[in-house]
Amino acid sequence: MRIRRAGSLWIVASTAFLAAAPFFLSTYWILILTEILTMSLFAMSFNLLFGYTGLLSFGQAGIFGAGGYLAVLSLLHGPSSLWGAFAAALAGSALISLVIGWFCVRRDEIYFAILTLGFGMMLFTVAHNWRSLTGGSDGLGGFTLPPLDLFVWRGSLADPRHFYFLVLAVALIGAILLYRMVNSPFGLMLRSIRENTQRLSFVGADVRAVRLCAFVVAGTLAGIAGVLFAFFNRIASPEMLHWAFSGKAVLMTILGGSGVLLGPAVGAAIFFVLEHVITAYTTNWMVFLGAILIVLVLAFPRGVLGSLLDLVQRYRGRPRS
Amino acid sequence: MKNKSLTPVLVLLVMVFSAGIGLAADKPVKIGFAYIMSGPFATYGQFAKQGAELAIDELNAKGGILGRKVESFFEDTAGKPDVGIRVIRKHVFENGADVVMGLDSSGVAAAVAPVMMELKTPLLVTHAATPDVTGSKCNRYTFRVSLNINQNIAMASAIAADMKSKIWTTAGPDYSFGHQSWEYFQQYLARKKPDAVFLPQAEVAFSPAATTDFSSYITKIMNSKAEGVLISLWGGNLIDFVRQAADMGFFDGKRDILMTLGAATEVLYALKDKMPTGIWVGTRYWFLANDTPVNQAFVEAFSKRYNVYPSYNAHGAYAAVKAYAAAAEKVKSVEKEKIVEGLRGLSLELPVGKITIRPEDHQAITDGAWGVTAADPNYPIRILKPIRKFSGAEITPPVAETGCKMN
Amino acid sequence: MEAFFANLLNGLSWGMLLFLISMGLTTVFGVMGVLNFAHGSLFMLGAYLCLQFVRWTGSFWIGLILGPPLVAALSVLIERFLLRPLYGRDVSLQLLLTFGLMLFLDDGVRLIWGAAYHVVNPPEVLSGSVALFSRSYPLYRLFLVILGPIVGIGLWAFFTYTLWGKLLRAAATDRQMAEIVGVRVPVLFTAVFAFGAWLAAVGGALAAPHQSVGPAMGERIIIESFIVVVIGGMGSFPGAFVGALVLGLLHSFGTTFFPQLQMALPYILLAVILLIRPRGLFGAES
Repeated sequence: MRIRRAGSLWIVASTAFLAAAPFFLSTYWILILTEILTMSLFAMSFNLLFGYTGLLSFGQAGIFGAGGYLAVLSLLHGPSSLWGAFAAALAGSALISLVIGWFCVRRDEIYFAILTLGFGMMLFTVAHNWRSLTGGSDGLGGFTLPPLDLFVWRGSLADPRHFYFLVLAVALIGAILLYRMVNSPFGLMLRSIRENTQRLSFVGADVRAVRLCAFVVAGTLAGIAGVLFAFFNRIASPEMLHWAFSGKAVLMTILGGSGVLLGPAVGAAIFFVLEHVITAYTTNWMVFLGAILIVLVLAFPRGVLGSLLDLVQRYRGRPRS
Repeated sequence: MKNKSLTPVLVLLVMVFSAGIGLAADKPVKIGFAYIMSGPFATYGQFAKQGAELAIDELNAKGGILGRKVESFFEDTAGKPDVGIRVIRKHVFENGADVVMGLDSSGVAAAVAPVMMELKTPLLVTHAATPDVTGSKCNRYTFRVSLNINQNIAMASAIAADMKSKIWTTAGPDYSFGHQSWEYFQQYLARKKPDAVFLPQAEVAFSPAATTDFSSYITKIMNSKAEGVLISLWGGNLIDFVRQAADMGFFDGKRDILMTLGAATEVLYALKDKMPTGIWVGTRYWFLANDTPVNQAFVEAFSKRYNVYPSYNAHGAYAAVKAYAAAAEKVKSVEKEKIVEGLRGLSLELPVGKITIRPEDHQAITDGAWGVTAADPNYPIRILKPIRKFSGAEITPPVAETGCKMN
Repeated sequence: MEAFFANLLNGLSWGMLLFLISMGLTTVFGVMGVLNFAHGSLFMLGAYLCLQFVRWTGSFWIGLILGPPLVAALSVLIERFLLRPLYGRDVSLQLLLTFGLMLFLDDGVRLIWGAAYHVVNPPEVLSGSVALFSRSYPLYRLFLVILGPIVGIGLWAFFTYTLWGKLLRAAATDRQMAEIVGVRVPVLFTAVFAFGAWLAAVGGALAAPHQSVGPAMGERIIIESFIVVVIGGMGSFPGAFVGALVLGLLHSFGTTFFPQLQMALPYILLAVILLIRPRGLFGAES
């Protein structure tokens, strides 16, 4: 109980830090924090499949990118409305993940991973090759960001701090949604799928339907993260859909700890800060990033946050619930 | 060499030092560079860095810009649009750059250019050739000092018009650069030679960027009716293509061949005598294309310092630094808005020749050169002989055609 | 007809290169259950070492013979000190570790050999081309087409008739049982990993005269090899052979017939096969 209280204290403290950050951090670090939060949402959505359902998806970037493209397309060809763009991306990414998920959740383990990779890369090809619609390899930009219209207050999203608050709000809503989900009976079902697929189907649950449900929720959240990413960069580009981008989410999740809800967020933060620190000293940053990754994997087998929580547990001499 | 230049350097040092007393509070001028420094195209970032450092050292040896020392920051775009935007923002917000330069990939340039309107910082593109950044995406802060696709293809089509081939096809990378090269080629050649025929989209050969085996594309071209081939592959793709094509009898003299970036030195150094002779090749800057003192000094200084002949990307970075310095001297300031005014309509003498930055779309009107590959015992690589030179005026499309609406 | 044969040979030669690389990948996965992201980097290392030996000695054959054992030796260290602590842990950790290894090696070669593109010439006997119909065809590509099946048969014989081969298969099928009957599994794992690395490096050395040697060559081939292994069935040799051939031919004929779909073709093939045969063409159904 004490641990949970300590945990929530930490969460309240870091939320307060994030909310206050724009008032004391430099513009550059606000931009970095915006990217960390966007990638956190993306990685957490991925982790609903990976950490809680045991499904390693290498196609999340496909849906992430599709969300981005749909939002930009809706701005270019539809009304100049922020909420309209979000709605288009939400509906579109839910539909796309329903279709892809319908095929993919029939397979397990590595086959699921490779199959999602395949579907993701098909989406990548569409974005990359359908030049008249998507702008091809140069990406789809040239839209004006609509103002942030909160009915009582209007602000320009071109201001990095306004944009930051939008991303923070969306990421928090996503995190709370995921928290409630994994702690509900549905979340329990997901975890029991990960532990033992057969047992769950023996007790009469439709494993495929449960998995598909998780896939659609994860995909929709990934699509929303994609909207934030495309708006942040003022462009939707094919790289967003490439498997290497899915790999980033995998990396951040395992780095932070897949067993903890906020693990992927911690992983995203570590990744960006590492990259920033290393590139300050050398342009050969990939060598160092690779070496540090190897060390982190060996030193923190349950992810940085996961292993730290374990340490805290051991220190208090209690088994984790 | 070093001893001879010692006296002027000492004099300069004294001058700078005494100037420094008066301007002690002056901060250095900061230039932020963004190139591909890692991964498959890292060689382009490396060349650019060499060119930039040479230019900066030359400037600092003469007292810097407006008496202020020039400082450089290099960041890696990894060739990815989101990383490119991140590092440009880092340059502006974190490194305090007065100007940003670079960008290799067209995709990155197309993503970064619109953001410059928000960052209100001048950007000098030195490599990416997409027409958009000085066309449909042109804006107040974005400039380009290097040749773009249109200018290079204008040269290609002028050469093609003199060839006897009527039916043309292409081998290019399957992304915007390859497709745009082919589209402009069709447009420009049809103007010069109305009876030219172009193979339809399904019969030309566009290969994905990750291709390493080009045999099926080579077979496809050799089996087509085409008499002439425009090759817009570049870098590692071009090296693989040329070697594999040579083995398959592609260069048997039966077809006219144009390689838009075949005279890039990184390609010629890798291929050496595997580069066939007698092929028309283009580049953005050829180190033997003109014998002006400026070019000779650049080639000599560069090859002495780095032991290779300058590539076009080295020249691009060198040119951008020099153009920036000239603009600053012109407006007597490095203030960002003033620099924009200084760059507009700026004319200066560069190794490539005299360039003028057109105020309407911010594209440099720059001379170009194509040539025929030839062996020469004095050079470790293939050189161009004969060379056909084009003036900037004849190869740069009129502003009305670029689609640029400057704001 | 002529075009058909040219495409056939193009597809076969590329397929054979893919086969060599996928063999190592599928062996390591079949026996150890490790999906090695860095396999492509070992392929790349094989090419770079071949390049280095050619520079020193001028002989491609020396590079082909001496380079791969060095890569195998390096991978013994990798297995012993990096992978071994992770056995029995979550598979995702191995994935992340080999991913880190890939970043390290891909950028590491740039520090040693520079960022420029390098070219390795084919050996004297295999350079040039032979007349084939009215065209000429590169001798080196024909060499690859012939070499592929020879290596494949050699490996098949090794796994069927030698003691080591039988041990490997036993360990792949049932690790615990192998341990009970006295197989020293840790030693076996090291050997298998080194063997897989050796195969990747041989593939890299053979690819060097065929494509430019650069830091990204491993990254470019790893996904295609994954697809080959999955299409064929993880851990299956005949599967890797057929998968590589199918992918090679799809590449060459796809260029001619479906140019716009080119990039998506391997993935469409992958999805279709996995939906029809969940464990790949030659995989054992569970």
